[in-house]
Amino acid sequence: MTAVARSWSRLTLAGKILFTVVPILLVLTAGLLLVIVVAGKPIVDFLAANMWLVRFVIAATAVLLMSVPSAFLIIYMEMKVIALMNLRIGPDRVGPFGSLLSVVHGLKVLMKEDFSPTGADRLVFTLAPVVVYMSAVMSLLVLPFAPRIFGADFNIGLLYLFGIGGLTVVGLLMGGWSSFNKYSLLGGLRSAAQVISYEIPLTLSVVGLLILAGTMSLNQLSINQSGWFTNWYVFQQPLGALIFFIAATAEANRTPFDLTEADSEIVAGFATEYSGMRFGFFFFAEYVNVFVVSGLIVTLFFGGWNAPFAWPEAWAIHLNLDLGSLGMGLLFGLLLVPPILILALAAPFYVGRSSLPWWQALIIGFVLFNLLVIVLIGGWAFISLDWVAGLLWFLLKSYIFVFIFVWMRGTLPRVRIDQLMGFAWKWLLPASLLNLFVTALAVIVISPR
Amino acid sequence: MDAALKRRLEARFGDRLTAPVYQRHDETEIRIGPGDVPDVCRTLHDDADFRFILLADVAGVDTGEVMQVVYHLWSDTSPDWLRVVADGLSRDDPRVPSITFLWQGAEWMEREAYDMFGITFEGNRDLRRIYMPPDYQSFPLRKDFFLPDDAARSPGAGVRHMEQSHTPRNARPGETMRKVRA
Amino acid sequence: MTAAPPRGHLHQEPPSDDPRVQLDEAAGVFEPVPPYPPRTEREAEFYTLGDGEMFINMGPQHPSTHGVLRIVLKLDGENVVDLDPVLGYLHRGVEKLCENADYHHSIAYLDPLEYIASLFCEWPGVLAFEKLLDVQVPRRAEYIRVLCTELNRILSHSMFIGWMALDLGGLTPILYGLIERDEIAEMLAALTGQRLLYNYLRIGGVNGDINHEFMSRLGDWMSRATTQIEANTTLLNENEIFVRRMRGLGKMDKETAFRMAMTGPNLRASGVPLDFRRAHPYSVFPELEFDIPTREEGDCLARYLVRIDEIKQSLRIIDQCIHNMPDGPVTAKLPRLLRPRPGRAYAAVEGPRGQYAAYVISDGTDQPFRMRIHDPSFVHLQAVGVLMPGHLIADAMAVMASLDPIMGGVDK
Repeated sequence: MTAVARSWSRLTLAGKILFTVVPILLVLTAGLLLVIVVAGKPIVDFLAANMWLVRFVIAATAVLLMSVPSAFLIIYMEMKVIALMNLRIGPDRVGPFGSLLSVVHGLKVLMKEDFSPTGADRLVFTLAPVVVYMSAVMSLLVLPFAPRIFGADFNIGLLYLFGIGGLTVVGLLMGGWSSFNKYSLLGGLRSAAQVISYEIPLTLSVVGLLILAGTMSLNQLSINQSGWFTNWYVFQQPLGALIFFIAATAEANRTPFDLTEADSEIVAGFATEYSGMRFGFFFFAEYVNVFVVSGLIVTLFFGGWNAPFAWPEAWAIHLNLDLGSLGMGLLFGLLLVPPILILALAAPFYVGRSSLPWWQALIIGFVLFNLLVIVLIGGWAFISLDWVAGLLWFLLKSYIFVFIFVWMRGTLPRVRIDQLMGFAWKWLLPASLLNLFVTALAVIVISPR
Repeated sequence: MDAALKRRLEARFGDRLTAPVYQRHDETEIRIGPGDVPDVCRTLHDDADFRFILLADVAGVDTGEVMQVVYHLWSDTSPDWLRVVADGLSRDDPRVPSITFLWQGAEWMEREAYDMFGITFEGNRDLRRIYMPPDYQSFPLRKDFFLPDDAARSPGAGVRHMEQSHTPRNARPGETMRKVRA
Repeated sequence: MTAAPPRGHLHQEPPSDDPRVQLDEAAGVFEPVPPYPPRTEREAEFYTLGDGEMFINMGPQHPSTHGVLRIVLKLDGENVVDLDPVLGYLHRGVEKLCENADYHHSIAYLDPLEYIASLFCEWPGVLAFEKLLDVQVPRRAEYIRVLCTELNRILSHSMFIGWMALDLGGLTPILYGLIERDEIAEMLAALTGQRLLYNYLRIGGVNGDINHEFMSRLGDWMSRATTQIEANTTLLNENEIFVRRMRGLGKMDKETAFRMAMTGPNLRASGVPLDFRRAHPYSVFPELEFDIPTREEGDCLARYLVRIDEIKQSLRIIDQCIHNMPDGPVTAKLPRLLRPRPGRAYAAVEGPRGQYAAYVISDGTDQPFRMRIHDPSFVHLQAVGVLMPGHLIADAMAVMASLDPIMGGVDK
């Protein structure tokens, strides 16, 4: 054994981590400094000239980063809520109430063996989950989360969404076909038939809304629904909202329309041969889709980021802080106030319970301090900053719809493929056309131009 | 113990019965030769005063001397179970006509009798093994079934067995076979 | 590309000049086609593909076959054209085992046949032995037998409701069914010592009297049973999707039912009020009052509803058993070494799936000479081949679930 190997094996675990991580960090820092020193100015100049590139990269990164935690949350919610509906407990070991389960699932999926089945078309097999995931994530780009928080405000935002939704079909078909497995083939074809059939009622049910609103921009649609909740489009287009909800359930492959992954018939449908991160991508894509679809329903029909009542401007607390005038006092304040507050919050616990060690009391104080700060600042932001309030209202409403989707999954059995197609073509399509005609007629009669 | 049923059976099938109609508890038993099975069963099924429309069971039996196929039927005209024993099949090449033309549900029961005993049901369109693998050599429920012998001829040959069969290793099958007069 | 499996002397090359026979080894496809020439005309007919048809193998591991069952489906798109069930994955040779065992011991072999309804599997064997031995079973033992078997029937039907819904996609009713099953299993565990394979019936009676824990659990459960079962079933009965998928599916009329040798709820759902507890009474059923639920339609929904009605009738029977339970011994006095007279005996009972029967031939020794077990799931699974073709895969699963097979009984 060489001297290096002997020394390495003598280190403890902490030592090993230290000896691996610290050199890497040093090298990276040195490299970064070098790049900044040598080529810093040209890079910054280039970026300043192409701000759109910067904005795009930031938006794309934000959207990608946002999709994963929301998928995690929805996965956990589904498992827990369905378990509680089934009168069982669901995940409750990993983390408090099992909330870290999604993280563990993500890690597990990353650590699985990466293989593709014999005879599978390697390239298509690998690209299929990518296509599905990307189409789900790209849909997040146009969803308006709050008054000035959205990826991009296309004036054909809705059309963009429907187009990207169609891309999902391509991904599912790729997955089903390239797996070299008849179950996958059946699942892929079923899903293609289903998604294509339901795209038509989906689009048509919204056209009535478009006639009323006059714009396809989702941001503008949210702005139009500001004020009291009676402004929400669901009251002006109830049939459209219902059809959209049903068609969106089918688009997202959720129960009762989840034949593509009907695990009592065709094992896992198009995803039978997938495992590891590829399956993880399909899995995440489905849940991101659920979130997108919920967000879309909320944006189109339920007011977007608006509160159910008109948010009075008078509530905003404008803090006209001039932090610069504090000078050195700012530094002292930042250094002294948190510890004093922590001690103040910890003291009652330390004094009141004699068995509590001092460090446990400090931890409690720290947690309470954090909660206090969050409540204060968050509350102020919620009341005063319209974008914080909008974000929270949007997320609340979206997650209510996510809960409804999960509720349906736990309760309803699934429909058969021919019943599904019959329903789309024989019932939803005429209903959405009816909705369209009645809306158009009403517009002509009530406010002719 | 349905005396009326016994009389009807003797009146109808008297010449074809190879043994007297035997009754005990709630069972009535008739014995016929294997060739008579389709006619007798069809008569029992169609005839107005028999109406044995429910086929309860088809079983193969190896008595050690002969093979039998035993049918159990039920009718709402009689409180007894009717047992039809097709007796006297040879142990070397047991053959019986199939009753799948009357009851399609007998198909698998006959397949099982074939699989376990080697009884060929003529007219069963799907007479292949149902439980044992398709390349299995023996018929397990026969009284001369000798497990190590069979294993030696099957694809798993050469495997050392942990269990001992009841028959001693060097016994010839005919000597230790169980027999019954049934 | 995997190498072709080694071919022993039995495996012959199939006739390769027939272009319709699928054996696409060159492409590395594993078609579920047997690697030997067809043994019967039916096999030949099945394993030749028509235009646009394909084979799909619902293998022994599948979330939806009720145990280890392999079905090779011939599909035309989503329509099932034909199917070939392959059995034997759970074959344990119970009949041969019973021939080498004592009369007393063979009762324990009969349990795992239909493991959900194991008391019903023991009962006909025990009845046949009692006929051979001319044993009189005490009345208290008969009442206890009826009581615990009716509980077993309710357990089996509760699980059926769960499986039926699970195969259609509803995730919740199976857990409600498991709640019922768990309560009854705990009850029967207090009585017999086991939750699944009870091994409780003995020749001439039962193994041990009712104890206090059993009665208290039973009373507790009976007071809630009706409302609980009502609550479990309304979720499905009033669900439009569920009803629409099951109505009119897998219709079986009376002639077909008799032709396929059906018994039990499958037969009663086709309009035939045949229940062996009334038609060929055994045990103390002549003294008990209950109805025979029958439905006319013969589709999956009828089979489902008949079983729900049977649960209610079983509750009635249990009620009467509790109130009319006589005192007395629970086993007849029998020698340990049993040597019945040579002879034959056939006994059948009405179980949750149909007729469970045993045909026992005794040769005067202490081991049965032939122990033939008749199992309803084995016979009913043939109906799948008659009812499934023409439907979609999803419907095929629903049809099979509605016939309620248990593979332990199918494979013996």
